[in-house]
Amino acid sequence: MKLYDYILSPSCYKVRLMAALTGVKLDLRPVDFHPGLEHRSPELLALNPAGSIPILEEGDLILTESSAILVYLAAQAAPEWLAGTKPEEAARVQQWLSFSGRLTANLGGARLHEMLLRPGDIGALQAQGIAALRELEAGLVEQNLRGERFLAADRPTVADIACFPYVALAPDGGVSLDPYPAIRLWSRALRSLDGFIEMPGIHRLHELKAEPTVEESKA
Amino acid sequence: MHTLTTGPWTPVALSADLPVGTVIPARIPAGSIALWRSESGRLSASADRCPHRGMSLSHGFVRGENLSCIYHGWSYARSGQCIRIPAHPGLEPPETIRAKTFTVEEVGGVIWVATDEATTAPPAFEGLAPLRSMTTTAGIAAIEAAAGAKASAEGLVVPVGDTLCLLVSTRDDGQTLIHVLVTGAASAEARIGASRAAESLRRAAEAVQKENAA
Amino acid sequence: MSVQAMIDEWYPVGIAAQLDAAGRNTMLMGEPIVVAKDANGQAKVTGGNGRLLPVKMRYGHVWTSLGEPKKDLFPIPEADQPGRRFVDVGVVRVRCSPLRAVENFLDVAHFPFVHTDILGAEPHTEVQNYKVEIREDVDEVWATQVKFYQPQAAKSASGGITTEYMYRVAAPTCTVLYKTCPPRPSEWDVITLFVQPLTEELCDVWPWMALFDDETSMTDLIHFQQTIFLQDRSILENQIPRLLPLDPGMEIPTRADLTSIAYRRWLKRHNYTYGAQLVAQ
Ligand SMILES: N[C@H](CCC(=O)N[C@@H](CS)C(=O)NCC(=O)O)C(=O)O
Ligand code: FES
Ligand SMILES: [Fe+2]
Repeated sequence: MKLYDYILSPSCYKVRLMAALTGVKLDLRPVDFHPGLEHRSPELLALNPAGSIPILEEGDLILTESSAILVYLAAQAAPEWLAGTKPEEAARVQQWLSFSGRLTANLGGARLHEMLLRPGDIGALQAQGIAALRELEAGLVEQNLRGERFLAADRPTVADIACFPYVALAPDGGVSLDPYPAIRLWSRALRSLDGFIEMPGIHRLHELKAEPTVEESKA
Repeated sequence: MHTLTTGPWTPVALSADLPVGTVIPARIPAGSIALWRSESGRLSASADRCPHRGMSLSHGFVRGENLSCIYHGWSYARSGQCIRIPAHPGLEPPETIRAKTFTVEEVGGVIWVATDEATTAPPAFEGLAPLRSMTTTAGIAAIEAAAGAKASAEGLVVPVGDTLCLLVSTRDDGQTLIHVLVTGAASAEARIGASRAAESLRRAAEAVQKENAA
Repeated sequence: MSVQAMIDEWYPVGIAAQLDAAGRNTMLMGEPIVVAKDANGQAKVTGGNGRLLPVKMRYGHVWTSLGEPKKDLFPIPEADQPGRRFVDVGVVRVRCSPLRAVENFLDVAHFPFVHTDILGAEPHTEVQNYKVEIREDVDEVWATQVKFYQPQAAKSASGGITTEYMYRVAAPTCTVLYKTCPPRPSEWDVITLFVQPLTEELCDVWPWMALFDDETSMTDLIHFQQTIFLQDRSILENQIPRLLPLDPGMEIPTRADLTSIAYRRWLKRHNYTYGAQLVAQ
């Protein structure tokens, strides 16, 4: 399974993270997104005319939407990450998968603007990002009141992976996460999962490892 | 301007939002703080600035009974005293290296931090249980207008016709922090309803705020 | 804060290979500038009032100055050495003082916590003694014999090694590091951080590298360095205050911070204080 990947892309990170959590091996093909704009090269446009990454290629299957790629990985390797049979659970997964597209536009747009100098109306992007974070926070509060720790169930699903990266990286775009306690706890729960991997901007939870004994060198 | 009489105390967060072994950012009139709970459950508050190179300590991590800075891993005890500098494993950090600390109290699921010497205990709200915290760009006057009720001396707003209470405090950045409280016996359904009602109140208060600013 | 002492310095304002006729609007020390390619294919930089600013093309980047540079751009002899690969890593904007961005680059003690499992890892946190000096002849800050254990020192490294570094501050916002080069033990890899001060609290950072590595693809080299720098960015944006404090009472250095101490002293001596805080607030 070949992933056209960029290390700083939160959308590509969704796929790398899902693969790491479910034990799927990816063949990574790095794309020079910045500064090279390789995602708009003829070779990449032939695979995805929309000019975005990630792109997942396996045989003649080409997927260019991260949510679809998450579903593909989960369906193959770890169906417990998909929605169960309960109607509201299935609906919630879809609800948050769609919502994640908005995060890409607003929080993702703000991040590209603030970090990689992409043009855009930064005030509007940040305001939309804050509105989205408030929705997510409210959704998580309600889930907790239902006794469920994740977006669609009491276990993580593809919906959580679809929403997590742009949310965790909101500060890169100048949007603070300080006002959202439920998001903070949810993010921590995801980051504590076995097999979790980071991307630049999301640092290691060092507390998950005991404090090492450090010997002073005799030099 | 609304004056609250909670003395030196600011209600900074809800107990449930600070599990053991974690650190979160919060604000008091004196500035930003790192609020943390050790592995054994002890609460601490320190200035949100590492004495070494100024990194925000609320980005750090809690191991055992200490808070560590994410930048170079310096560790601080509850007292604020630096107890470990990983770059110099054999060195006992001098006593002069310490982060400023504040007094913290937890009452009925609300965490309070004192700016000055606290001679009184923070207020307790009988029969009420915390539901969630939220921030808003609306000031207390706009919240009162949206709720149709005045804040009590302790900062409690009881909106007309709702089953929830808002514990409000103005932050140093001009935003208002709201802790939503409900009656202890409320069912899960009622709590979800209260959370939605609080969202609506915040929307209404922000509309009032915007209108008043225009 | 003083623009004056730093105004005659050269600053990076773009990647040479990405110049275009349309031009790019950017900023230098608060002044809006335009960086473009003229009809002859040469770089042209225009200042706020339409005046033409001096230009240099060097180390993959376009350089300019708001004042009258008294010196040529600092030398990097390795930039002319055959066999090296030159990597334009691409710009990253950071909401911090340009001086804080440089200081972070001079520090190894943060590797285990910020670049975990790449440039450092617990329990290998000790910073052994190293040498620091201000070289009067070239007026640069140098740190040598800086050694640190690294799980993955470079894209080309296949396991943990103790890496040796030399650090050099060649201009107030430009720094060059030399580190052990795994494929060629007799040479040093060169990694630079060229910082464009937009304002005192905002900068565009242009990392650039000159490496001996024939194996790794250009894209992988870029991504390795971007990974490292983006890990630093989240630190840099959360230091308080945003300006670099030159008041010694404000922050507490240890032996591991000798390079930072020398850098701050050198800045102060030259009155290089654009992006600095002189008195604690
Ligand atoms: N199809 C969307 C696209 C995700 C997306 O926006 N990716 C960014 C990189 S993080 C991209 O390729 N942007 C193209 C551009 O900005 O030119 C998905 O898979 O979620
Ligand atoms: S800034 Fe906190 S340990 Fe260095
Ligand atoms: Fe770093």
